[in-house]
Amino acid sequence: MADGETPLLDELEKGPWPSYVKEIKRMASKNAASKDLLGIQELSYKDKVTHWKHGGIVGVTGYGAGVIGRYTDMPDKFPNAAAFHTLRINQPAGWFYNTKSLRTICDIWEKYGSGMTNFHGSTGDIILLGTTTENLQPCFDALTDAGFDLGGSGSALRTISGCVGKARCEWSSIDTLDIIYNLTMEFQDEIHRPRWPYKFKIKTSGCPNDCSAAIARADFTIIGTWKDGLRIDQEKVREYVDKGMDINGLIVNKCPTYALEWDGKSRELKFYEDDCVRCMHCINKMPKAIRPGVDTGATILIGGKAPIIKGAYLSWVLIPFMKMEPPYDEVKDLLRKIWDWWDENGRTRERLAELIERVGLKTFLKEIGLKPVPQMVYKPRANPYVFLK
Amino acid sequence: MAEVTEELKQKVIDYLKTVTKAKNKEVAREIGEDKHLVDKAIAELGKEGKIEYLYLGASFIKLKE
Amino acid sequence: MGRTDIGPPNYQDMLPDVIKKNYGKWKYHEIQRPGVLKHVSESGDELYTVRVGSPRLVSIDFIRDLCDVADKYCDGYLRFTSRYNVEFLTDKKENVQGIIAEMERLGLPVGGTGNSVSNIVHTQGWIHCHSAATDASGIVKAIMDELYDYFTSMKLPAYVRIAVACCINMCGAVHCSDLAIVGVHTKPPKIDHEKVLAQCEIPTTIQSCPTGAIRRHPDTNIKSVVVREDLCMYCANCYTVCPAMPLADPIGDGVAIYAGGKVSNARKPPMFSRMVVPYLPNNPPRWPEVVDVIKKIVEVYANHAKRYERMGEWIERIGWEKFFKLTDIPFTEHHIDDFTHAVETYRTTTQFKW
Ligand code: HEM
Ligand code: HEM
Ligand code: SF4
Ligand code: SF4
Ligand code: SF4
Ligand code: SF4
Repeated sequence: MADGETPLLDELEKGPWPSYVKEIKRMASKNAASKDLLGIQELSYKDKVTHWKHGGIVGVTGYGAGVIGRYTDMPDKFPNAAAFHTLRINQPAGWFYNTKSLRTICDIWEKYGSGMTNFHGSTGDIILLGTTTENLQPCFDALTDAGFDLGGSGSALRTISGCVGKARCEWSSIDTLDIIYNLTMEFQDEIHRPRWPYKFKIKTSGCPNDCSAAIARADFTIIGTWKDGLRIDQEKVREYVDKGMDINGLIVNKCPTYALEWDGKSRELKFYEDDCVRCMHCINKMPKAIRPGVDTGATILIGGKAPIIKGAYLSWVLIPFMKMEPPYDEVKDLLRKIWDWWDENGRTRERLAELIERVGLKTFLKEIGLKPVPQMVYKPRANPYVFLK
Repeated sequence: MAEVTEELKQKVIDYLKTVTKAKNKEVAREIGEDKHLVDKAIAELGKEGKIEYLYLGASFIKLKE
Repeated sequence: MGRTDIGPPNYQDMLPDVIKKNYGKWKYHEIQRPGVLKHVSESGDELYTVRVGSPRLVSIDFIRDLCDVADKYCDGYLRFTSRYNVEFLTDKKENVQGIIAEMERLGLPVGGTGNSVSNIVHTQGWIHCHSAATDASGIVKAIMDELYDYFTSMKLPAYVRIAVACCINMCGAVHCSDLAIVGVHTKPPKIDHEKVLAQCEIPTTIQSCPTGAIRRHPDTNIKSVVVREDLCMYCANCYTVCPAMPLADPIGDGVAIYAGGKVSNARKPPMFSRMVVPYLPNNPPRWPEVVDVIKKIVEVYANHAKRYERMGEWIERIGWEKFFKLTDIPFTEHHIDDFTHAVETYRTTTQFKW
């Protein structure tokens, strides 16, 4: 293979979906680090293994997080990507941007890095992929001058993210963007200076559709909900029906708790408020006719994580309903209590859910000072092994 | 909460001299000070460039060489 | 020295006027065509969103291209979604066609709304991670080329969320997706004893193994560890704490495929994805075996599920036994759980299908 040729990667320039290989090549023509990245990636495709090593200690002064150290195992062959560190940049809540600030980030990254990025990482940050150890500090300084800061990494609070919320979604029961921004500003120290047994993630979604997958991938999940009934506009319901919607087949019969009934005579959608579990189905399918209630707040769930180490968890209910109004002191107090307890009792690399499983939810509730409620479980225990203390 | 003093920061540094690396809560336990205060002191030492962080599956701090 | 702890920019400085004005006042929305949403406010104001697919791993020139379009049609604002799509927002209906035309020029697909296959959430892979058992960006590209029509249309029974993680750390939290592809190792770690001495802390390394497979080296003169290979499940947890124990292997590494997860609470509660294919080899650059299985499952689902039924709901209704039959995927001993909560998955009823 002649120098600089990438026959395997070239295959990924074909086809209709936009190609990341084309993107690397766009930079490779003017940036030596990106050119080497392309070479390293081609070799991985040939060798079928990664050519990156564990990171070392790199970072910017004052922070223990936000930078991922990265070195290739072939520094002689690819000197321009020998060190190829990543910066995590805390995104604005909701991933909204004005073009001026985006262009500023591009200019800074053109000067100090490879010019390659992820918009965005799965936790939420803007990922700037690939720079040298020497460039980290000046790049960071330029970014803070432009109003941006690093996100979390290591055993720290990770960058907080969530769904678009009230900015563009009629179903949001809470102001996700404000919650994200407010908590992010409050917990700058926890984000930038890792000190816990392991990582901790907070995500928020405005309604039970959970577009940001908060329930699956955050240790602390905030999901918007409401306590009263649905708002139903019967006139609009009839419009859907008149336009041919199979209201029994697609709405009423799919309600998980039989909270709806279509009365064909009076042409009215009956709603049994007590039976509704606020699953969103009928709202999703008839957005013009059915809306969430107005007594709004959030359900707080905890413990969600990927499988490492003891298996995957979905977050479970801790507080069925909490009002969410600035400055969100109740949430902040709860978080601080949880962190203190986890830090005191958790083993190295033990996530919150794993610690709770080890010592028991009962113990956790007692230490945090929360009363058990039936909404926390699907069903009570079936076995008789109770430690009655 | 009490403020971070120079003595406290020195105590942290003295402790870190005796180990290759440590976690915040170990530092607090070993020098017998309040954990929140020690967290704050360590943050200040970080900003002053006197300690650095390392990541070995979990995060630790150590004195800067 | 730079300033510290300034935090991200305030989102309010990043919102277009029409959103600032109607924040929290949106009344309803419609999907006008695949990729185009119209939101209507209590005030009567309208907001049009054009959603566009992105490869996520992009150059700064790509971002600048997007900025040019946003400057021309959206008063200089745009946003990204949690699945890496780009959204152009405008209150001017007449701008929608212009944005779509620009996307055609840039070669970017408009879609990802409603009952579509949206963009694939994925991780770093061979582009940037030491832990990767497969690549992510390449598999994503190969699959999306094949499922392109499902991104730009809304013809599925419900939406289908796909995710790729290049090792079982699963940075992308793929474990609750309709379809998940996960990189897996199949060989135990190869220990470099000299490196262990220099780079690893032995007690931490031993403690890191969830199955207790790691022991001190029997020869006390060698300050290192050994692995009982019959206990190793190739999770690479040891490698995360000890760089001298890599598991990557060109022949052994490959991917597993999972199906039927969801995160939304609509109708059924969230569910985990379940293993449907324990292992397929890495076959870069286009992973044809993986693409075939994914395409097959999507097509069988499209043909059999009822309207609004997510993949997991469909599988629950027909039963896993029917799923394996319809998709022609063999059911093997590897599909039967033997990890921590295994017994919960064993069938405790005489109810099943053929
Ligand atoms: C050093 C190698 C690694 C690299 C380069 C890496 C890279 C990344 C990146 C870029 C993200 C997205 C970050 C963001 O959006 O802020 C991420 C998220 C994540 N990483 Fe890693 N990671 C590494 C190691 C690990 C390890 C060792 C684990 C677990 C033990 C892990 C688990 C995760 C998880 C669970 C997420 C977030 C998932 C989510 O929020 O949905 N990563 N990683
Ligand atoms: C007002 C209407 C809606 C808005 C504004 C909205 C907004 C969004 C956005 C911005 C995303 C990220 C999309 C992407 O990254 O491509 C998303 C994803 C998602 N949406 Fe919605 N959505 C709406 C309707 C729905 C409906 C009707 C459902 C379910 C019935 C739903 C459930 C979800 C889920 C589960 C995800 C993806 C979570 C994941 O797997 O990552 N959304 N939504
Ligand atoms: S989670 Fe709910 S409120 Fe948030 S964007 Fe999705 S549908 Fe809207
Ligand atoms: S929100 Fe869900 S549970 Fe409530 S009435 Fe509608 S479909 Fe039924
Ligand atoms: S999933 Fe695994 S291989 Fe992929 S980026 Fe995350 S840690 Fe690395
Ligand atoms: S790969 Fe996992 S199971 Fe195997 S030795 Fe390492 S930690 Fe143990």
